[in-house]
Amino acid sequence: MSVGTTQPIAEVERAASVKTPASGAGSLAAGMLWPLLSGAIGLALWEGLVRLFKVPVFILPAPSQVIVTIVEQWWYLLSQLAITTFAAGLGLVMAIVFGLAAGAAITASRLVDRMLTPWLVIAHAVPKVVIAPLFLVWFGFGLQSEMFFVVAFTFFPVIVNTVTGLKSADPEQILMVRAMGATPTQVLRKIQFPSALPSICAGIKLAVTLAPVGAVIGEFVASNQGLGHLLIRAVGDMDTPLAFAAVTVFSISSSEGTPCELIDAVKWLTS
Amino acid sequence: MIAADQSLARSNGRGVSASISLKNVEKVYGGPSGDLHAIAPLSIELPAGEAVSIVGPSGCGKSTLMRLIAGLDAPTRGEIRVGHQVVAKPVPDIGIVFQRDLLLDWRTVLGNVLLPAEIKGLSGLEGRARELLQEFDVGAFADSYPWQLSGGMRQRVAIARALLTRPALLFLDEPFSALDALTRDQMNVLLQRVQTTEGVTTLLITHSITEAIFCADRVLVMSGRPGAIMDDIRVPFERPRRLAIRETAEFTSIGRRIREHFEKVGVLVG
Repeated sequence: MSVGTTQPIAEVERAASVKTPASGAGSLAAGMLWPLLSGAIGLALWEGLVRLFKVPVFILPAPSQVIVTIVEQWWYLLSQLAITTFAAGLGLVMAIVFGLAAGAAITASRLVDRMLTPWLVIAHAVPKVVIAPLFLVWFGFGLQSEMFFVVAFTFFPVIVNTVTGLKSADPEQILMVRAMGATPTQVLRKIQFPSALPSICAGIKLAVTLAPVGAVIGEFVASNQGLGHLLIRAVGDMDTPLAFAAVTVFSISSSEGTPCELIDAVKWLTS
Repeated sequence: MIAADQSLARSNGRGVSASISLKNVEKVYGGPSGDLHAIAPLSIELPAGEAVSIVGPSGCGKSTLMRLIAGLDAPTRGEIRVGHQVVAKPVPDIGIVFQRDLLLDWRTVLGNVLLPAEIKGLSGLEGRARELLQEFDVGAFADSYPWQLSGGMRQRVAIARALLTRPALLFLDEPFSALDALTRDQMNVLLQRVQTTEGVTTLLITHSITEAIFCADRVLVMSGRPGAIMDDIRVPFERPRRLAIRETAEFTSIGRRIREHFEKVGVLVG
């Protein structure tokens, strides 16, 4: 966050100009080549072995069959993916809002800190999957159950990183603005929150990767739609190619980068 | 905030500076391993507009004294007044410069200088902020970020920030001790120039005897724990001052007088 205090401009510029962009594109292509090649070999082996030993399709479908299933059922897969993504997104937003608010409350008040933090640590230690069936009891069958499970699944990284970030603010900077007559709210807005943003951002990044997993687990247990439900149903029907297709679609969709650069922009807007 | 009366001085029609008065002020920090007597009962009277240096060894309670006057900490006994107001909570009309510049990395230089105005809900100070930056030779960097500036430049921005709202008091707590010797000399010249133009009551805390004399109308020499005033010396030089005055016999004799105090209490071995 803080760069050395005595770094003259010329030196910074020199450091920036040292990076030559010329070799970047070439090495990236070369770096992609080998994993792609090994992937192709792996898929070819899989395809060949399945055909050679005539493996039953409900045990292990060939890659070509999975691709055919994806092409044939793309609309069904995408619509279920959309439902899962919607539930994950909704739960994630709620987790972020709760996490930020609770983190701010814990930092602002020693009393809240002492009363809540031990319970948060204990709650965090409970494996969330274990309590998933309870959500079915509490919130019934459907989206709401799934969404609250996502909240439970992603809430902790947000709150833990929010508290860590807010507490990491420079105490001398806080003293300085206090001497200027800042109210506790001003200290939070002008110093603590901007200082905490990198940490909050890291927490949200973690939550973003956890949210789809939480949504699918929620669907396993308490939903009749979404990719998780599709997966359970496909396995129940011994439609293994469809299960593989679902896993493939899910993996591709959740491996996309997280939009944290966007969150970084908030830092400049709020300060 | 502070009522207009004889304890305030108007200087150059710019800011209104305030006097500082300490009566039998004492500070004891209680601890499990016994009490720490940080400041012995001491009384100081500083007229409005005066530039005062406090020089003393490490841990002599200089910074504690400053925190007490700023209202960031309460004295165990005694009374502190800024103007005619008894200090009981943080004094808002005060600009503080710390050893570290404490610039906020996510704000531009101008944004950093304007911070006190935002905190106090004052508007229309951008012109003043740019003027101050210009005066401190960092005007061209108003829209740069702190990491783009050198240490000396950063500390100049910090002083501009402290002066923005024309405070009645300017406190500097070892502001130049992290800078190299040459930059430090430049900052000393700058500081005594600013004191003249702004006419603000200034309290400079420093380890450097030379700096203490050069930047002040009056030097208070503090002893080690518990902090007490050993000497109160007038500095007779005219302003604006040039670095060359440091080689005059008068200047060196003041320096010797301060050094003798430290030798007497064993801080310095002559």
